[in-house]
Amino acid sequence: MSAVQAVSHGQLWYEIPATARADMLVSARVYADAELWSQISRDRSIDQLMNVATLRGIVRCAYGMPDMHEGYGFPVGGVAAMRASDGVISPGGVGYDINCGVRLLVSELEEAAVRPRLKELVHELSRSIPSGTGRGGRLSLSDAELDRVLGEGCRYLLEREFATLDDLDVTEANGRLGRADPGAVSQRAKARGRDQLGTLGSGNHFLEVEIVEQILDPASARVYGLEPGRVAVLIHTGSRGLGHQVCTDYVRVMDQVMPKYGITLPDRELACAPFASPEGQRYFGAMCAAANFAWSNRQTITHRVREVFGRYYGDAGRLRLIYDVAHNMAKLEEHDGELLCVHRKGATRSFGPSHPETPARYRSAGQPVFIPGSMGTRSYVLAGADDGLALSFGSSCHGAGRAMSRHAAKRTRPGHEVRRELEQQGIAVACPSSGELAEEAPFAYKDVERVVDVVHRAGLACKVARLRPIGVVKG
Amino acid sequence: MGTASELLEHTAEVKLRVRAPSFGELAAEAGRAVARIELGRVPPHAEGPWRELEIGSADREALLVDWLNELIFFAETERWVATEFEVQSATDTLLRVRARGAIVEEAPARIKAATFHGLRIVAVPGGLQAEVIFDV
Repeated sequence: MSAVQAVSHGQLWYEIPATARADMLVSARVYADAELWSQISRDRSIDQLMNVATLRGIVRCAYGMPDMHEGYGFPVGGVAAMRASDGVISPGGVGYDINCGVRLLVSELEEAAVRPRLKELVHELSRSIPSGTGRGGRLSLSDAELDRVLGEGCRYLLEREFATLDDLDVTEANGRLGRADPGAVSQRAKARGRDQLGTLGSGNHFLEVEIVEQILDPASARVYGLEPGRVAVLIHTGSRGLGHQVCTDYVRVMDQVMPKYGITLPDRELACAPFASPEGQRYFGAMCAAANFAWSNRQTITHRVREVFGRYYGDAGRLRLIYDVAHNMAKLEEHDGELLCVHRKGATRSFGPSHPETPARYRSAGQPVFIPGSMGTRSYVLAGADDGLALSFGSSCHGAGRAMSRHAAKRTRPGHEVRRELEQQGIAVACPSSGELAEEAPFAYKDVERVVDVVHRAGLACKVARLRPIGVVKG
Repeated sequence: MGTASELLEHTAEVKLRVRAPSFGELAAEAGRAVARIELGRVPPHAEGPWRELEIGSADREALLVDWLNELIFFAETERWVATEFEVQSATDTLLRVRARGAIVEEAPARIKAATFHGLRIVAVPGGLQAEVIFDV
């Protein structure tokens, strides 16, 4: 637990002044109410956020989201922006799962239409979308094809007929970062990712079948096309082994070049280089390529899910993509007239209605933001808010946030009991590992209702709809 | 001092503590722990030929991280989980190890990477101790 004194601001955020530690360049601000602050203070995440506040070129504040918890280097739920001109870029500020993110698809089906064959549907989704650790998918890529995925992202999948133009329009950055440099991605990274396109991966990654349970903002829900009672699908995964290896490779590179740039750090995992340096640019090119891979991964999974829904429900099972948003990324963005490299680690971009990167069709509501609850609990759809730019560089949280270690979760309740409890709630579960099921149990996470409430009240994003899970596929 | 390893509490990731009489044995014990974490069970007996592994890094901490990431890479890409290690030589910047393991049915990729966060290799009575956090 951090011993630092923070100033509370109206149950919305806690501020640790830059004077709290000699090496901090800016203050650290955590969006939280008293209960969340108390939970956040139990691990090392506040110390980690203060470490972030020491990074060269950081502006305004190091921000912590309400779901913040201990990670490595950056806390999970950390946001920091560095000047592109003389600030740094840090692979540890993005994390190993580059462009881990969430997308939401919605159908015109009602719950009654899927309930009779729900178990079968969830099993079929699990069979069609490899979810386990390291298992390859069905889309194995040649070297040339992999380079196209890395360079073109979802645009390449248009050619493969795995994506539609509509899908790209509602994917962050249209599913492609133009600064991607496939040549900056190592052969090792490519070897790890080659047969992983279309796979979920392990840990907290999942695919859930949801019901739109309640509309909280009818106007924005209409803009997004969300109607109560409709069946939806939430997909959470990232760049798999390819992204993990890109981060591994560049943490190593940055670690070696920091003396050249006179950079010293309180935590070696924050290894970084000036954004404008050759090493910084090369990492940025590789990270963008890994991000393109991640969007392509979620798009390939979407294609598989659509195939399954099509087989089961025909045209009624058509799934429309609402949005796809990243939550582990460094992006070049202009804020307050300055070009910044905004690091979001376990944090979601949440641009408001006025932002030019919000898709035109959503300009009257704001960019959709998804906050999945823990397995078996409610998830939320929110809308990015214009005020969020001043509050957090247009960022929101990415989930409920862990409150309990994986070990402690397993000790608290065995996986088979977690499975039974979920099934008793009417949730069909496909997860080969009871251990992993226990690790991701609802009690291991913070209360998503409280987290979302702080996001809403602080003005980071506004509640639009609540989703209730009825099926879970896990690695 | 013998070799030993244990998992410690961490909110989101896996934190490993390893103790051994020497740096070479520390690396070997951490390697065996990686196999257990990756598979989530006691690893199968090693079989097949020995493999020569050589890692060079800037210092001892980086060497340990790079070594573990090498094992993670082989596990994910070749389904080869190393479980037996013979340390040929170990300095602060170079590790040469013969390793043997088993090919497993499904490529384990529970561990994304070994990280530098909070990594310290410290002298303790009778040897060395390291704590490593793995992103999982």
